[in-house]
Amino acid sequence: MPPSPCALCKVNRALILRPKDHSKLCKTCFITVFETEIHHTIIANALFHRGEKIAIGASGGKDSTVLASVLKTLNERYDYGLDLILLSIDEGIKGYRDDSLETVKRNAEQYGMELTILGYEELYGWTMDQVVAQVGKKGNCTYCGVFRRQALDRGASRLEVKHVVTGHNADDVAETVLMNLLRGDLPRLSRTTSIITSTPSASANPSSNTNIKRSKPLKYAYEKEIVLYAHHKNLDYFSTECIYSPEAFRGSARALIKNLERVRPSAILDVVRSGEDMAKLVPGSDEGCGGVCSSSVPAAEEEEGGCGSAQGRSSGGEMASVEAQLRQNDAASEHNLETEITTAGGNGSGKQHGRHDSGAAPLSTAGKKGKKGFTPRKANKQVMGRCKKCGYLSSQDVCKACVLLEGLNKARPKNSIEVAYEVQDVSVNSIKDELKKTSIGAD
Amino acid sequence: MPGKHVAGATAEPCRRCKDNISVLVVRSEPLCHDCFARYVHTKCIKRLETFRVNFAAEDQRRRILLPLSFGVASTTLLHILDLHLKTQRSKTGRTGFVIHVISIQDPEESLPTDRLLEKTRENYPDHQYASLPLHDVFRLIPDDASLRDLVPEPTGKQNLAPGEYLAHLIDSLTSATARADVLTTLRTRLIVEHARLNGCESILWGDSTTRLAEKTLAETAKGRGFSLPWQTADGLTPFGMNFHYPLRDVLKKELVAYINMSENKLASLVHESSPGATQASMSSKNTTIDDLMKQYFESVEENFPSIVSNVVRTAGKLEIAASTTSDLHCSLCSMPVPGGRFGIHGWGGDQQDGIDVQSAEGSSRLCYGCTRSIPQASRKANGT
Repeated sequence: MPPSPCALCKVNRALILRPKDHSKLCKTCFITVFETEIHHTIIANALFHRGEKIAIGASGGKDSTVLASVLKTLNERYDYGLDLILLSIDEGIKGYRDDSLETVKRNAEQYGMELTILGYEELYGWTMDQVVAQVGKKGNCTYCGVFRRQALDRGASRLEVKHVVTGHNADDVAETVLMNLLRGDLPRLSRTTSIITSTPSASANPSSNTNIKRSKPLKYAYEKEIVLYAHHKNLDYFSTECIYSPEAFRGSARALIKNLERVRPSAILDVVRSGEDMAKLVPGSDEGCGGVCSSSVPAAEEEEGGCGSAQGRSSGGEMASVEAQLRQNDAASEHNLETEITTAGGNGSGKQHGRHDSGAAPLSTAGKKGKKGFTPRKANKQVMGRCKKCGYLSSQDVCKACVLLEGLNKARPKNSIEVAYEVQDVSVNSIKDELKKTSIGAD
Repeated sequence: MPGKHVAGATAEPCRRCKDNISVLVVRSEPLCHDCFARYVHTKCIKRLETFRVNFAAEDQRRRILLPLSFGVASTTLLHILDLHLKTQRSKTGRTGFVIHVISIQDPEESLPTDRLLEKTRENYPDHQYASLPLHDVFRLIPDDASLRDLVPEPTGKQNLAPGEYLAHLIDSLTSATARADVLTTLRTRLIVEHARLNGCESILWGDSTTRLAEKTLAETAKGRGFSLPWQTADGLTPFGMNFHYPLRDVLKKELVAYINMSENKLASLVHESSPGATQASMSSKNTTIDDLMKQYFESVEENFPSIVSNVVRTAGKLEIAASTTSDLHCSLCSMPVPGGRFGIHGWGGDQQDGIDVQSAEGSSRLCYGCTRSIPQASRKANGT
């Protein structure tokens, strides 16, 4: 078979089968078309305005690296007039984060962007390694997710940046749509499909860290094309998944998305479209405030649930625990029809057991009155206030992060002795950590 | 493992009647043969509260349509409804409704529909039976002009007979997913039309929980998230016809167990097109999105049956947008398209900057999902 020419320029040999629509393109045309589509997304959604300072949530992974590269290119090509900087969060996971941060540091040099690295250690006094040592692998993603959400906002506000962009791609969004259908979490489905999300500002205070805008310029870009782009542009990125978090629901949804893509390449985009349309049908939905999340894009997160998964998830056991919870609810509704059932634990997933039609037992839980009255806890944005402890936007008196921290700190031995030798990080804190770790280990 | 059909629960007594030995474990409850049958019946009949015997005049009895595919679910539904009506009659001398059964012959004629239908009639002689070829959809639907516009007729040939046009339409579809999707859509339209013509007020579909969950995710994957509220809910649909899913609380595996445990006569009526189809290799070009979801939920229901039902419940919580009643409808699936956003262009994920958006959409107006199935090129050619 003779080599086919590029479908766009008709001159060069086609070397790339475009994952999105299976068109045959040459390398140059692919790169142009990929960049142009991101530009289109940016313009069509009016993501940026001239002079805006944008922090790119950079993890060193393919998505955020491509995002940084494309934004730099487009900013120059179309003269957006943006001030682009990199913001990385160091969760403190040895063997995962410290390596990828090296990548981010190189990226900062390569793209000539200012880089800020903000650690959980610095923000919360706990690295993820320490959290895991304390709470075990089960449920640690909850901590990581809650901490990370605030971390990006705090980092942004520290840098006086009002807008953080993250590398979430179309696959991530599609995955989240299916995952939230499987988990029965419509409010989150609704929030995570929007391209711009922002924490509503609770005060006019400009130094507040709560009204940071988030957007995902790669929302419609296929993961496979991101990889191709990174490959053909010889981008320097780091590819390892977080060592702590295999997530059952997301894993299941991810596998499904990959299979769908194989059967019909447009399916990823079609799921995203479905998600956008469904978001409009979610009762009580309004402007979202979470980001879509993915375990492979640590630079952003869900509102509460770790890397996008339900709270209390553990490796593989998540589906089982949701199943158990749902079954309890079902059993309850079977055995005492028409009575009120209080959900155990009040956790985010598996709580929607209000029947959707009148034919079923009108099972009602706190806040759920059948179809119309279905108002999940998380949608209670009207009561947004501030955390009494840290001032972060929260619907509770004390925000989630502070609650988690309190639990962690309670168990941490008081430790005032400081030894005067250096570990590898140049801070005294890290020594404190070492000590804490040993004492925790001794527990 | 709870909820499995392993008869491993031997020697354990039935949790309900406490008398008999259990034969299988249903959602962590060991049940005996009779209690399991009652379990399935109750789940189904509970859904039919609105169809109780009413003592209206005999000639005002309500008619319902039961589409029969000869699969496990619709056959079981017919069996249970037949029992139900017999019970009603023995108790009150009347029945709450009259059943019309319709079976649609698929164009490939992979099933001996007429023979199967005849056999079914012999077993359940009290009901009305009919079978129609799928291409009747072009004959029966009054505004068939828009259906006939889906793809242009081949050059040189005009006024194709309905059967020929259907064959031509299916031939022009480029993927297995598209063919399955269009066939299913046309089948639904034909069934609705038949229900209307026979004065039926409702269609009782056989879909199990598992099937409804499959449908939820499959339609999402096909870009029909906008019409999900009508895909799985009981009640009035945009067709102006009531849809009910009496088996919505029964899992597919429970229906299979029900059939397996029933007397041979019932099992012999079941013709699952090909039980191995869902195991088809993933590399196959013939895999459809529906197959994929079927496979997926068959595995999920094995260990996580409540997650399957939760998907269906979740989809049921989506609310129909208030404005949609006045909206324009898709020419193929007939679902209201909010704001008349036909086609696959003109949204965030469409990166082709308004290239010929108008002209490319052609004359018939298709929703996003149907536009994905009907090939653009041939419609464009027709658009002029």
